[in-house]
Amino acid sequence: MIEHNFKCPSCGKIVSYSGNPGGHITVYCPYCGSKGRVTLPAITQKNGFAIEVSHLKKVYGDLIAVNDISFNVKKGEVFAFLGPNGAGKTTTVEMIESIRQPTAGTIKILGQDIKTQFNNIKNNIGILPQEFHSFDLLTVRETLEYFAKLYKTYADVDEIMDALDLRPHEKHLYKNLSGGLKQRVGVAMSLVNDPDIVFLDEPTTGLDPKARREVWMVIKELKKKGKTVFLTTHYMEEAEFLADHICILHEGKIIAKGSLEHLIQTYGKDSVLNIKNCNTKEAIQSLRLHGFNATSQGNGNIAIRIEYKDRVLDILSHLRHECIEYESIDIRRSNLEEVFLSLTGARLSEDSP
Amino acid sequence: MNLKFIIHDLKASIRTWLRSKGTVFWTLLFPVLLIMIFGAIFSGVDDTSYELHVQDLDESTWSGSYLDMLRNISILEVKTIETTEDIPSYMKDQDLAGVLVIPDTFGETLQQSFIDQSSTVNVTFYHDPSKQTSSSILQNIISSSLYEFNMGITGGNRVIGMDQISNLGDEFEYIDFFIPGIIGLTIMTSCVYGSIERNTKYRKDGILRKLLTMPVSRTEWILSKMLFMLFLSFISTIVIISVGIVVWDMHVALDLILFVIGLVISASFLFSGLGMIIGRFVKEEETADMAGGAITFPMMFLAGTFFPLEQMPEYLRIIAQILPLYYVNEGFRNAMIYTDIDKTIYFSSFVFVFALIFFVIGVFLTRWKED
Repeated sequence: MIEHNFKCPSCGKIVSYSGNPGGHITVYCPYCGSKGRVTLPAITQKNGFAIEVSHLKKVYGDLIAVNDISFNVKKGEVFAFLGPNGAGKTTTVEMIESIRQPTAGTIKILGQDIKTQFNNIKNNIGILPQEFHSFDLLTVRETLEYFAKLYKTYADVDEIMDALDLRPHEKHLYKNLSGGLKQRVGVAMSLVNDPDIVFLDEPTTGLDPKARREVWMVIKELKKKGKTVFLTTHYMEEAEFLADHICILHEGKIIAKGSLEHLIQTYGKDSVLNIKNCNTKEAIQSLRLHGFNATSQGNGNIAIRIEYKDRVLDILSHLRHECIEYESIDIRRSNLEEVFLSLTGARLSEDSP
Repeated sequence: MNLKFIIHDLKASIRTWLRSKGTVFWTLLFPVLLIMIFGAIFSGVDDTSYELHVQDLDESTWSGSYLDMLRNISILEVKTIETTEDIPSYMKDQDLAGVLVIPDTFGETLQQSFIDQSSTVNVTFYHDPSKQTSSSILQNIISSSLYEFNMGITGGNRVIGMDQISNLGDEFEYIDFFIPGIIGLTIMTSCVYGSIERNTKYRKDGILRKLLTMPVSRTEWILSKMLFMLFLSFISTIVIISVGIVVWDMHVALDLILFVIGLVISASFLFSGLGMIIGRFVKEEETADMAGGAITFPMMFLAGTFFPLEQMPEYLRIIAQILPLYYVNEGFRNAMIYTDIDKTIYFSSFVFVFALIFFVIGVFLTRWKED
């Protein structure tokens, strides 16, 4: 509950009322008796963080599922919580969603402590739980209307269906939808209250590549609309494609966090420029002479390590200048898989797409 | 309390239920099928109870001879009772299927029949319609013995006949015993499995986790689901009774209709509570279904749903009395068939107490939050 002051439009006196942030209430002026409907301001906080997690810990008997982790999620960003299965991602997100009780630590959503203020926060968040499956025998429209009407104020279901391209399926029963469509409906359900923050827990697990792409596009759209998206995933491509900020979790601990560029530059290997079908001996000699780290790969192919982006242009200029001919080039960029490998010595996921 | 949510959720539940052909079958058509099949099989079947209590108001040589004849029937155990006993209350107290009363004019009429062949006298057979199979056996034995006695004494002239009086004042069939049991059984299965589904499938599917993050309280959710279960219970009860009346000419009394309604409500809460308890301890959907079956299936047979308890061995009768379904079934029978107010109150009280205990424990154990 928040308290807010209004200026009565009839008598001009200041009147105090309390209610849920963002809620609509009918107010009576105790001075002149006039009545009117007002909207209480939505939750705002100053530091620009949608989520603040501090020293969060979850212990089950001897097992430490989440071990003293801290991070912040900025408003309007897509924040990916990346890690292999069993790393503690879902435990963490479910503690943030107040589904699980933390052993220790504090969590704030939009500046409010969830331990005491979670009922206020409910209107500002939307969630898609892991392996979510809705009511089989309701249609897409009925499903969205069912969940929308659980809120006092809710978004227009038609608009949500249009935004997620669900209109052609609105009369289809949920059980008859494809995996990708079910997940799209799940995302739509998380938007029925027009939340500021959307939690998507492994939204593409088990989907085929086409369906996975469809969900990715939906998440991109959420970001465009200014929503904060908290995404948990064990697919590095998903995090690479969608996330502004990535937090890598391993065995309950955060082992790295930052932007994709930052993580690759800090923990990844150098990128490699591959030149195919050229005069290897001549080219290697020339490139090495100018300080490039070139090695023969056999069959007329050369690999050159790229420490930083500008070096690519330098190499290409040099090849042109020296009139070294080649068939094609490609750049193999370091990725999160290599970041994870260099940090843990293990592969991120066995079933990465 | 968010009444809007409760109504909204109830509508969605009914819509989903109507679209699930399987659930509609198990809730409505399955009990109807049971009524048709068991009604056809068991109407008029024999049973194994042969105890006959006889009140000899005549106490003459003739009545003594007839009693000796009855005693000589090997499958019959004859016990005499005081002439001062009031038969209906005696039957109730002793829980008897039938009592034979030999009138005080028995010997005199037999003597008279040697002079006046038109003289007749009737013995009276009091029977308990709720023990339909036992009482019909006794009635057949008495009829045969009277035929034999008439043959022996008069050479075929029918001097001694038989009147029948129900200790409840009405005639009942096996179907009247059976249908209240089917109502109890249907309420039990739909409520137990409904609760199990909500506590295991919805948990597995993430629906409970999602609801936890939405502005809906656990109380509102349970209340709306209970309203739905009550809707199902009343629909099933109405359909079962209607089929019983139309197809099998079932006798339903409306004198204690409020108790019937109360029993439907209490039984729904009782078995929903039982389902919640099972759903709490057995979290896997399939295992929970099996656990539900392991509890409801034996209860179905041991609680006197299909067969009167008197046909069961003594130790099974004792087991039946700790099963909630037994009290539900007997409550329904006494409220809607036998209209026995004392027994209705007795059994309904047990159902109410069971409902209170199971539902409170069930609600207490139902958790949305994960560990």
